[in-house]
Amino acid sequence: MTKPVTMKTLAAAAAVAVAATAMPATAQAEGEYGVLMKTLANPFWGAMGQGVEDGATEAGVPYFVQAVESDQAAESQLNVCNTMLERQPVAMITAAINSTNLLPCLKAAREAGIEVVDLDGNLDPTILEAEGIEITFSIGSDNVLAGAQGAEYMVEQLGADATGPVLVIEGLSGNVTGQKRAQGFADKLAELAPGLEIIASLPGDWDRGKAANITNDILTRNPDLVGIFAANDGMALGAVESVFAAGKGGDVVIIGVDGNSDAVKSINDGRLTASVAQLPYLVGKQAVENVKMALEGEDVPTSVIVPTLVLTKDVMDAGTEPLLEFVK
Amino acid sequence: MSLLEVSGIEKSFGAVSVLHGVDFSADAGEVVGLVGDNGAGKSTLMKIITGIYTADAGAITLGGEPLMHLSPGERRAMGIEMIYQDLALARQQDVASNIFLGREPVRSILGIPFVDRAMMKAQAQQMIDRLGANLPAINRNVGSFSGGQQQTVAIARALTFDPKVVIMDEPTAALAVREVQGVLDLIRQLKEQGITTVLISHRLNDVLSVTDRIVVLRHGTAAANLVTAETDMAEVVSAIVGGAGMPDAAAHEARG
Amino acid sequence: MSSTKAQQKGLWSRLQAGSIEQLHVRLESLIVLLALCALMSVLSPFFLSVSNFMNILLATSTIGVLAIAATFVIGAGGLDLSLGSVMGLSGVVGAYVGVTMGLPAPLAVLACIAAGALAGFVNGTIITRAFVPAFIVTLGMLGIARGIALVISDGRVIYGLPSAMVFIGQGRPFGIPMPVIIFVVTAFIMHCLLAYTRFGRHTLAIGDSENAARSAGIAVDWQRRLLYTLSGALAGLAGLLFAARINAGDPTAGLTYELTAITAAIIGGTNLFGGRGSILGTMVGALIMGVLQNGLNLLAVQSYYQQMAIGAVLILAVFIDQYQVRKETRV
Repeated sequence: MTKPVTMKTLAAAAAVAVAATAMPATAQAEGEYGVLMKTLANPFWGAMGQGVEDGATEAGVPYFVQAVESDQAAESQLNVCNTMLERQPVAMITAAINSTNLLPCLKAAREAGIEVVDLDGNLDPTILEAEGIEITFSIGSDNVLAGAQGAEYMVEQLGADATGPVLVIEGLSGNVTGQKRAQGFADKLAELAPGLEIIASLPGDWDRGKAANITNDILTRNPDLVGIFAANDGMALGAVESVFAAGKGGDVVIIGVDGNSDAVKSINDGRLTASVAQLPYLVGKQAVENVKMALEGEDVPTSVIVPTLVLTKDVMDAGTEPLLEFVK
Repeated sequence: MSLLEVSGIEKSFGAVSVLHGVDFSADAGEVVGLVGDNGAGKSTLMKIITGIYTADAGAITLGGEPLMHLSPGERRAMGIEMIYQDLALARQQDVASNIFLGREPVRSILGIPFVDRAMMKAQAQQMIDRLGANLPAINRNVGSFSGGQQQTVAIARALTFDPKVVIMDEPTAALAVREVQGVLDLIRQLKEQGITTVLISHRLNDVLSVTDRIVVLRHGTAAANLVTAETDMAEVVSAIVGGAGMPDAAAHEARG
Repeated sequence: MSSTKAQQKGLWSRLQAGSIEQLHVRLESLIVLLALCALMSVLSPFFLSVSNFMNILLATSTIGVLAIAATFVIGAGGLDLSLGSVMGLSGVVGAYVGVTMGLPAPLAVLACIAAGALAGFVNGTIITRAFVPAFIVTLGMLGIARGIALVISDGRVIYGLPSAMVFIGQGRPFGIPMPVIIFVVTAFIMHCLLAYTRFGRHTLAIGDSENAARSAGIAVDWQRRLLYTLSGALAGLAGLLFAARINAGDPTAGLTYELTAITAAIIGGTNLFGGRGSILGTMVGALIMGVLQNGLNLLAVQSYYQQMAIGAVLILAVFIDQYQVRKETRV
């Protein structure tokens, strides 16, 4: 799944590079879009990258995509960002690894009159204001809302007057996205079903194996666990493995976030209960479309929230949900 | 009083007692052979004198000055040099760096003491020339030299800072016959200059030919103290193996 | 016989010897760096410009400072795996002092370096006093420092450093980024320290043969402790540079940087087992990696391929190095 995307990206990027080498003047006149992802080594980011590419191809704009080796390589991403400015793009569409690592580069980009797009909403508006960076717009899913949707669905399954212990598996310590999802889930759960008690909220570091271990440990302590919310699908799938291995398959409602292909498969197999799908493909595609509009002088909202969708077996079996098209 | 006085040295490594009360002395310009079977404690005793090991008990003086409390570097500064069996060379450094290791001359630039490479090189070359040694190039890494050439560097290092006492641990063990003669000649030269030499060796023929006195270590004590001119191979061997009259062992040694 | 051979040396050998003697850099690595620059200039029209050159230096500054630390420690036959974590910790400590505690910038700057130096001192003390291998001690410190950084920052980025501190990361006197200036000056001082002072000579001697160094009366343990402290302080400086650059203390900063720093040192000719190394060499190594990365970024080649390229350069560099050493040394 990831590999073809990778090779295609490379080929496209190489083609652009060759074109740029051959006729730099033309390329500059048309105005390239620089796209800086976190990493493509993850279906979520892969799908978003794909959305950006398809969007750019459809809109007929030249673009080049760069990413770093992992979603924790904060400084490499800043260095890559600086290097990308050398090519003098007209727009920079960036998915920052954290809320601060790209700031100097984005500042320089704005000073050079380059449009800056915050892909997936990783930047913090207050920090941007303090730094005096005015971005063109921010686009992404609302992670707090995604967590809340997860809580809603869990309560829907268990009932508002349900009681019992619930486990939350957070993302990497210090990562805003994971924190927002976990927070959104916890707040909504407390509101809708006060009987469901979050007995532990632990960092799974986006790691499937780690999430499986956490689940094992908690199941030992709380065999009556009724629900698990994990801040991404990888960790949710780790939790699924532990729950089924403990012979409790079907007894525990397990919800992840992302809606990636592994999760879809697991939901179809009746293992994972649900995933709050983030539609990264749509985020990527729409980002390009909006930035093109902005460059053409049209008004674009400064904050675009791409809707999220709770993927369940029922929803997929029915197949009537229009957003399903964008689940990659 | 002798130049180097060692008395009552005791040393254990964990439960193993290596030296129990060794007395040893050497006069200025004297060549003393230190012999004994493997494990008799020869190297340990010498490393205690140079300060690499710390003795459990005992006293050492050089020219009347006690030096038990001094570090190896300070003892070197007082004039005790040792040529180790493994030569203790830094093989990736050049000749000058090895000779001056730990004692590099410095030149102050803007108040910062920088190592004076030019002076080191010049003096190293001088010392190598004085030893009449043939080294391929002074700026090459010592690791690229042959065993004998490396030995030359180790000797040059010991002699550069006007030592009072030079301890040689098996200096001839790894050498070709011609090179052995060179080392023995060197020891005689040192004697003429009034430098004390302590020679640790298994080659008793060498020891008998070059020393003034032979001290035999056995089971961690000085078992015998023989004047070379008044002794012979048989007596030395029997002192080493313990037990009077070991003509077989002596004869074997004499044959070489 | 050998001396006549030395006189008959060709131009190439004399250049090689001269490069090592005068610059403490292997000629081969210099040539690789220049060739790489030439290649990138041909491949990308964006490569050959002053601003891009500054980009390369800026991108190399944090890793470069860590690589200097690695050169000292590895040169002395040691290893410091905690470099990246200590860098992260230092940035967070600086941000904590400057932001959370609201103390003036000079104190925050000092706190960065001091936090690094303290971590290094603990490393060095345990290694020399408790006889635990450096690999283990610094591996432990890798976890401890990262953990402390996360605890202090509560797992979040501490944003908004005092402006004097931000100047260290973002200021551009004479158009040159401050981190680049600090990096180059540090490299120059550290080069002199390693190549021309007794401390530096003894560092390499310890790495070459601990036995020889002890016999020569060098206080090996004391020097080791100093070296790890220096290494930590340099990691602290790297942490300061990075935090100042992004105007925040990031507890996850410097993840796996120790390996990149060690790679730069090795490509630059440092012997992994100690005894040989120079800061200029390490700078060349770090720049080879920096130019490679920058060039591949300009060509929009994916990061996966960049990692492959750097891995290949590392192996190639050590191969050339070993080839030379085997030619020169009797085994």
